[in-house]
Amino acid sequence: MGVTKEQVESSLKAKLNPSHLEVVDTSGGCGASFVVEIVSEQFEGKRLLERHRMVNAALEEEMKEIHALSIKKTVTPEQWKQQQEANQSNAAA
Amino acid sequence: MATSLSNMFFKGLANRSLTRPLNGLFYCTRYSTSVSNDSDTHDDFKPANKLEGSDISLANVIEQDVKDNPVMVYMKGVPDLPQCGFSSLAVRVLKHYDVPISARNILEDAELKNAVKAFSNWPTFPQIFIKGEFIGGSDIILNMHQTGELKEKLKDVTSKK
Repeated sequence: MGVTKEQVESSLKAKLNPSHLEVVDTSGGCGASFVVEIVSEQFEGKRLLERHRMVNAALEEEMKEIHALSIKKTVTPEQWKQQQEANQSNAAA
Repeated sequence: MATSLSNMFFKGLANRSLTRPLNGLFYCTRYSTSVSNDSDTHDDFKPANKLEGSDISLANVIEQDVKDNPVMVYMKGVPDLPQCGFSSLAVRVLKHYDVPISARNILEDAELKNAVKAFSNWPTFPQIFIKGEFIGGSDIILNMHQTGELKEKLKDVTSKK
């Protein structure tokens, strides 16, 4: 009955036009629990709360079926780049 | 015989004067929903269950909650026994700070649950309010903890001691 990872991905892609998107189904297959990471230009200049609101709004339909949605990352392409670089230099060090 | 009777009488009085104010206190807490069948009291003085009734009054309850409590959490379970990993996470984060945490268990009241969702326009629980401002859910509170933003936000919230 639940929502599929593909449904979540397509809704997020359609509404937030992400440059990077990662959706993980953490429900063990029943489609009730997801973890998402999104990089989108649309987050520019928005507070974390507003970014999360945008994700919730994009998944409004799906949220009726989803029991738990963990939004791990909502960053701008700029922030994403910085984070990737920081991770790399950490790994190198 | 007479002394023991009067002793009992005074004992009774002493007990009454001790228990009365305490009872009063208990009945004043927001969680109280019932009152003992005391012939001294009248229905008019019974505590009203504020959580019953229309959405409008529920919205008022929430408004009052977030105004009166610097850190207000609507969660699944109670702070000492959360019944969901996300609610548990939010409480664990907040317990790092020496602040009083007020909470309501939305699992006990489906109407309240819906009212809170409508109030904040947020679909999931827990929901955290600090100084009347809606903060977000567990992902946000964890993020703010990690960035130091939460410390800043809570610095003027008086400690529980």
